[in-house]
Amino acid sequence: MEHTEPHSTEPEMANRQGAAQRPNGAQGKICQFKLVLLGESAVGKSSLVLRFVKGQFHEYQESTIGAAFLTQTVCLDDTTVKFEIWDTAGQERYHSLAPMYYRGAQAAIVVYDITNQDTFGRAKTWVKELQRQASPTIVIALAGNKQDLANKRMVEYEEAQTYAEENGLLFMETSAKTALNVNDIFLAIAKKLPKYDQNQGQSGQGQGRRLAEGDQGAKTPGNCCK
Amino acid sequence: MNEEELLQRAVEEREKLFKRYEQGRDGGAEIDPWEDPGFEVYHTTDRYGFIHDQRLPTKIDIHEAKKLQIEVERQKKWIKMLKNWGSPGVSPEKLHSRVYKGIPDSLRSIVWCKLLNVEESKNSNAGIYTNMYQLARQYSTDARQIDSDVNRQFREHLHYRERYSIKQQQLFNVLTSYAMYNSEVGYCQGMSGLAGVLLMYMNEEDAFWALHILLTDPKYAMHGYYKEGFPKLTRFLAHHDKILTKFLPKLKKHFDKNGLDAMLYSLKWFFICFVERVPFNLCLRVWDIYLLDGERIITAMAYTILKLHKRNLLRLNDMDAIVNFIQVKLHKDFLIEDDIVIQNLEKSIEELKRAKLYTPSPPQKDEIPSRPFGVFKKPTLDKIVGIRTDKFSEKERQTNQLVVLTSDIARDNAEKDETYECQTNDSVGHTGSKFSFEQSNDDTSSLLDCEHLGSRRSLADTSVTSTADLSVFSTITRSQAHENSLDTHSNLSDNSVGGASSIGSGICTTSSHRVFSAHTTPRASSYKQSPDVLRIYVPYSPLDTPVASPHNGDLQQSIPCLFNDNKVRIKIDNDELPTPLIEHGQIKSFNVDTELDLK
Ligand SMILES: Nc1nc2c(ncn2[C@@H]2O[C@H](COP(=O)(O)OP(=O)(O)OP(=O)(O)O)[C@@H](O)[C@H]2O)c(=O)[nH]1
Ligand SMILES: [Mg+2]
Repeated sequence: MEHTEPHSTEPEMANRQGAAQRPNGAQGKICQFKLVLLGESAVGKSSLVLRFVKGQFHEYQESTIGAAFLTQTVCLDDTTVKFEIWDTAGQERYHSLAPMYYRGAQAAIVVYDITNQDTFGRAKTWVKELQRQASPTIVIALAGNKQDLANKRMVEYEEAQTYAEENGLLFMETSAKTALNVNDIFLAIAKKLPKYDQNQGQSGQGQGRRLAEGDQGAKTPGNCCK
Repeated sequence: MNEEELLQRAVEEREKLFKRYEQGRDGGAEIDPWEDPGFEVYHTTDRYGFIHDQRLPTKIDIHEAKKLQIEVERQKKWIKMLKNWGSPGVSPEKLHSRVYKGIPDSLRSIVWCKLLNVEESKNSNAGIYTNMYQLARQYSTDARQIDSDVNRQFREHLHYRERYSIKQQQLFNVLTSYAMYNSEVGYCQGMSGLAGVLLMYMNEEDAFWALHILLTDPKYAMHGYYKEGFPKLTRFLAHHDKILTKFLPKLKKHFDKNGLDAMLYSLKWFFICFVERVPFNLCLRVWDIYLLDGERIITAMAYTILKLHKRNLLRLNDMDAIVNFIQVKLHKDFLIEDDIVIQNLEKSIEELKRAKLYTPSPPQKDEIPSRPFGVFKKPTLDKIVGIRTDKFSEKERQTNQLVVLTSDIARDNAEKDETYECQTNDSVGHTGSKFSFEQSNDDTSSLLDCEHLGSRRSLADTSVTSTADLSVFSTITRSQAHENSLDTHSNLSDNSVGGASSIGSGICTTSSHRVFSAHTTPRASSYKQSPDVLRIYVPYSPLDTPVASPHNGDLQQSIPCLFNDNKVRIKIDNDELPTPLIEHGQIKSFNVDTELDLK
């Protein structure tokens, strides 16, 4: 029941098994970002993460309680970007716990299901909440998931795109099932995030601050590629 | 869409969902091809019905065989005991000792029902279950969420595997009916896990009452976990923190340093009693005990898990690895034999009792069901059509605030330790994992009055009064500062070869100023480390924390030979080599490369 997608776009992903692919010997930059996934229950948040992190799709992805934590590293030109991903529970009951996960996040993916109009409405309220409560410089991406079910589409591409443009969000339609745009949306986020090299020590107040804020894992030496 | 259309849509959706479950597989429920699995069953199904990716071993090893044999012997005793259930012949002590040894799987259905007193609830409420189902059929507003969770619950289990299978039907029915019966909780994600396990051992109506008992009997009181705002969760997490602060201060500090609040790793422990967090066989053992002894078992087990894996956890130096270990690794393989775990659980209980930490503080009023059960109130229009109010209730607002504060503290703790790393900018760095004199539960704080420990407690209290004003902040700051100064003690006596004890009061002042300031300093750059680290492990005292030992019960025997006194172990650990970037929770095994005999 796992599909490892043949036509996964697989851009410059770091090798999943072991050592990072780094430009030979060159001291590239290393960045670490906290990213949170938000959206209505069953829109496919966990599935997107699983696809991105492990390249798999489970039809019966277990429902999330509270939140789950995973990481994935991608290489962008000379920069290694490590995502610390918080995949949250979608049920409204868990909403009150959400700040635990999105506070200090540098990026968020707000997910809806293109076959369900309500989930799009819910996505908009998440965006509003992030704009109000999260870090002011957070990079937000909107993902219209389950693109493979386009024949049951209830949310038009243009509608979502217009909304995204108006709100300065990245936008893509994705499918965790076929892997469409999954890596791409993470990479697009990585590109948009300000890079600040953790190898270089302190940076200026602005961006460095943001990194320091959510960067929970990097404080221990030796856990990242140095 | 206008109101009428929305209503119409909701009615149709509910109708469609219920119909599918009513019809079931054979009745012709429409099943999308992707909803149904197509995998080989037979040689991959374990004795509990779970289907595994790999073939199970074709031969049962001797150890397994012996265990099965013991279980058969126990079965006989249990059958006798069941005949005399409730009579003085079955003493609580005997019951206790037998339950802790594990209820034979073939008798679990009967014994669980007895322990929960299902029969009584069912008989005194005859007809209710059917009523509730009928109500749900007409008015349920939770059907969509429940349907999507049934579709994802235990799908690797033989009975839940097929879409609209009998168990899936039952799970849907129990959950939708229960949401009507206990309208204050309704349905909350997590409950499908509870009911899912119950249904592996019970029929539909029994599972309904068992679920009700788990939620509302004060012995289990899970109602408070699932209710909006999760009031019981905050109380139990506070208690958990208290236990860690007292018995595992070093680990607690390690977690704090990594910004790891308990809420981030323990939700399934509390909400579904370790389902999907420890292997299913161990989970059943814990459930046996939980059903016998109630809610206190959860915090005792949480403590036991962390205690048993303390050494592993201290060696993991980022949140990623720690969370992965606790949530994924331990689910796949707990590394320690079930019987040993349970023995340690019993030990933990004794420890906690002695320290008066076995029983958490009593429940707050808002955790206890306040609405009568089974009284039907027509749902509001918003609820029917599934429109979110987008407003928090008072309780949710408090929880929300608490969560924000807690995450600030976690972050502050992380940064505080950052400062510390800058100060002791040398290769000692992580005292915990490098030069460590391990003691079983690094209990150096027994002299301390634990009532004052645990910042969350004070947070929980403030959240109840819901005054997020400055006085609240100063309370927290104070309790933090207090904690920090205590930490100094534990550091002095804890472990710390070389330099580590220099943390303490200095930081405690910085941190108390920074707790709620909006600005924190940029993360200090991590220092570079020479890749070849020589670590010397000097065993200090005989461990009574079992080390991961492959499935044999001989832990007591295996330790002495592993940790012979007067031996210095030199371990060349390549954790710090500039590899692996991605580790899916694969922690490296403890390997001793060289041994120098100093005798
Ligand atoms: N066809 C299709 N199904 C998908 C896709 N992504 C997810 N699903 C299915 O949708 C269901 C829900 O997916 P999850 O990833 O569990 O959803 P979630 O958003 O994490 O849900 P919560 O944990 O409840 O918040 C699962 O049965 C998935 O198999 C997709 O791209 N296409
Ligand atoms: Mg999920």
